[in-house]
Amino acid sequence: MKIVGVTACIAGIAHTYMAAANLKKFAKKENCEIKIETQGAMGIEDELTQAEIDEADVVIFAVDTTVQNEDRFVGKKILEVGTSKVVKDGKSTIEDAIKLAKGE
Amino acid sequence: MSDNISEFISEKNIVLDLSALNQVDAIKKLATLLKENGYIDNAFAFQSDVLEREKASTTGIGNELAIPHGKSKHVIRTTMMFAKNEDGIEWNSLDGSKVKNIFLMAVSSADKGNEHLKMLANLSGKLMDDDFVEAIKKADSKEKILKILQKRGNER
Repeated sequence: MKIVGVTACIAGIAHTYMAAANLKKFAKKENCEIKIETQGAMGIEDELTQAEIDEADVVIFAVDTTVQNEDRFVGKKILEVGTSKVVKDGKSTIEDAIKLAKGE
Repeated sequence: MSDNISEFISEKNIVLDLSALNQVDAIKKLATLLKENGYIDNAFAFQSDVLEREKASTTGIGNELAIPHGKSKHVIRTTMMFAKNEDGIEWNSLDGSKVKNIFLMAVSSADKGNEHLKMLANLSGKLMDDDFVEAIKKADSKEKILKILQKRGNER
C-alpha cells in the first residue's frame, strides 16, 4: 500500500509537523509506504512529485486550510481530515485511508 | 546545521514549576519570562496573539502536553519555552487530560525558513514519539530536560 499526504495547519508551526510525524508513525506500523508533503511556515517541504502521486493508492489531506497545488491530486481517492484528529488518533486515520484505498 | 540548538535553547528557556493556576495564567507567566529574556517586545500583545490562536483550536494535544504558539510581530527572535506545572491545568485537551507540560513556541512573523523554525518543526514531530514524551515527562531537572530537547531537536 502506497500512501501520500499533505499536512497544513493555520499557523504552520506545530500541527503541520506533528500530523506528518504521526501519519508516518502509524503508516509504518501498518507496513505502508508513505510520503508526506508539509505545507507550513517554512513553505512546501518534501514536495510530492506527480509520479509519486500517480503511484499512490490513496491520498491523505490532514489540513485545517486549503491545500496548495491541489490540482495535482485530481482523480485520486482522497481522505480529508483536520490536523487535530491526526494528532489525537493517527492510527484510525491510517486505517480509514487503507479502507478507502481498498474501496471498503 | 548553521545554527546550533544549544544556542537556541538554554536553561533560561526552561521552567521547572510554573505554578500557573490556569491556561491564561500559564501563557501570561511564560510571556513575561520571554519579555524578560528579550525574545519579545510586548508581553501582553504576544499573550493575546497566543490566546487568539488557542481560540481557533486547542493546543492541548493530549498526554498532559500542550503546545500553545503564536506567530507575532512582537516576537524579536523565534524561540520556545518549556515549562512543567505540578498541578494539571484544564486545557480542553484532545484526550481530556490536564496539562502538566507546556511547550510555548514564539515565532517572529518575519520568519520564513530559518533554522529556528526548523528546530520547532522537528520538536513538534518528536511530540508524536512516545519515548520522547515519556523522557520529557520523567525529567526532573533543567539539565535533563535540556539534554533531551537538544538531542532530539537536532535529529530529523
